[in-house]
Amino acid sequence: MADTSARRQRDDTAETRAAAADGTPSIDVEHLELTYGDGTRAVEGVTFSVPRGEFFGFLGPNGAGKTTTIKVLATLLEPTSGRVRVNGHDVTADRTAVRASIGYMAQETSVDEELTARENLAFACDAYGVARGERGERIDDLLDLVDLADVADTPAGNFSGGMKKRLDAATALVHDPELVFLDEPTTGLDPKARNRLWEYFERINERGTTVFLTTQYLEEADRLCDRLAVIRDGRIVEDGSPDELKRRVGGEVLELEIDGSSEITESAAEVVRDAATLDPAATVEAVDGAVRVTARDAGALGPDLLLALSDAGVTVTGFAVAEPTLDDVFFAIADESVDALEAHGTRPTDGDDTAGRHRTEVDA
Amino acid sequence: MSGSGASTTTETGNTFLGDVCVNVERWTRKAVHNPTAFLLEIVVATFSLVLFTAVFGDVGAVALERAGFADVEYVTYLLPAVLMQATMGSAFSSGMGLVRDLESGMFEKTVVTPMSWTAVFTGKAAAELARIVVQLLAVVGLAVAMGAGIETGAVGVVGIVAVCLLVGLLFMAVSNVVGLLARDEEVINAASMLFMFPLLFLSPAFVPMSEDIEFVAAFNPITYGVDAVRALVLGEDVLTVLSISRFGGLADTLVPAVAVLVALNLVVGAVAIRLLARASSATAA
Repeated sequence: MADTSARRQRDDTAETRAAAADGTPSIDVEHLELTYGDGTRAVEGVTFSVPRGEFFGFLGPNGAGKTTTIKVLATLLEPTSGRVRVNGHDVTADRTAVRASIGYMAQETSVDEELTARENLAFACDAYGVARGERGERIDDLLDLVDLADVADTPAGNFSGGMKKRLDAATALVHDPELVFLDEPTTGLDPKARNRLWEYFERINERGTTVFLTTQYLEEADRLCDRLAVIRDGRIVEDGSPDELKRRVGGEVLELEIDGSSEITESAAEVVRDAATLDPAATVEAVDGAVRVTARDAGALGPDLLLALSDAGVTVTGFAVAEPTLDDVFFAIADESVDALEAHGTRPTDGDDTAGRHRTEVDA
Repeated sequence: MSGSGASTTTETGNTFLGDVCVNVERWTRKAVHNPTAFLLEIVVATFSLVLFTAVFGDVGAVALERAGFADVEYVTYLLPAVLMQATMGSAFSSGMGLVRDLESGMFEKTVVTPMSWTAVFTGKAAAELARIVVQLLAVVGLAVAMGAGIETGAVGVVGIVAVCLLVGLLFMAVSNVVGLLARDEEVINAASMLFMFPLLFLSPAFVPMSEDIEFVAAFNPITYGVDAVRALVLGEDVLTVLSISRFGGLADTLVPAVAVLVALNLVVGAVAIRLLARASSATAA
């Protein structure tokens, strides 16, 4: 893509180059507060920054303040107080400059269904002032990127939900923005369409675009994001890479399937409690034909525990170690505080959590 | 991310006029792709011309004679009414387009671009007015083919279109206000019926008015639209609700009628612009 970088160089203004050189972050938020006209405090003193090129995830339950924050960053809402700079421009004082430098994909699919895919992209090109000579190539490029080249001249009203989302994403990229906002981009899509969209988002990020993603799908955040912030009740309560967050929230889960009645499982749990030198935060519970051990190093305890159970005459029919998932982080946060949860075990008790990665939709 | 990737297309080179054209193009393309509403308005106008002439032709002739229009064909008398009807019908689709944009998210998507919202709505309105012009010319052509005469000729047709556009702008503003308050296409649909029929019938649109309703008609904007267009069609002063004689000839109708329409446009337009500005702004309402 030698010609692309040449174009980018040409498009760069002196200001942007200077900003890139001194390491100005894509997003810089200090003490952002937003109170709606009816007195609802949607965001209460949020501070964070997103460096250039990062795939940043903003995670939280419904009503936590995700969309409000993204709307402030995208100049659709004015902050009540605090300082918000996007690509080096103040979102209030320098609104047009911010708008020209970002792509925004709203939570609801926003395409003009009366226009074809190509016409939607052409309108976006015109709206963002993409130079006439570059338009044709840019549109073809994006149609290829989101795999809509075959249906370029079909009205968007005939598209499936996934296709509309992809077109919506493409229209947010016509001006080759440095930063793109994706507000719950895969909500309501089937798993196949979701997977496909993820690939496009990864590709966009690989091309050098900073991505700010909000989601309530933990699998999505885990797969895509370099770094996450978790927002709850208008405040950021956790911040770190997906792995860091998982490590912080709790340990591995070791599940030992026991052959026999629930009394045998209960006694097996007693054996485990007596045998292992568990750290104080660890928990042992008997659940539905299995003993579940949650601890920082539960996997390493496995051989000792198997031996102890065998000595006690208990037959173990299955053995599995699960890494913590972002679900755990999420549930921990939903349960007020991480500390409180570590004392009670970090797992949801619906028994559906042995897979390291599964999609969980949380309606809080 | 490499150095070359760290790029931003900052200020666009868009001019206000350029942004207006972008939006004219969008709304015109939409109308061309889905011309049903546009064509339907012409079909309805055609029906009105044909049906009203056939049904009311004889009665109309009597009424016209009694009102002092003895030498006027009914189709000629009817033309302003049908033009008003087509204009109002089309004008309400402006609010529909706005509501559809609000619902589809295209409104927000457009707000978040570097285009100014004034350019966005100027472009949308210009496309809608252009559509009305095409409809008006089609209806005038049809009426002339049916035997209607326009005394003031080609210049008169330009004047007729101009008056209709004033009425069109007024009801575009009304439909945008309704659209922004209700945010529901059905409500705009209902509002268009609610405005159109009483206003057309409480005016001298179809037959000359009896004195009883002249008092009410004086407060009806359509009265001024119909009379102004009719003055241009017949080339004489036809204003019924006010008696003004300081300008002479058809200007006695045209000047006060246009003044009333401009004044109404300023008032309702100001409300519409205020609401549009609020909807497009970044305040946390």
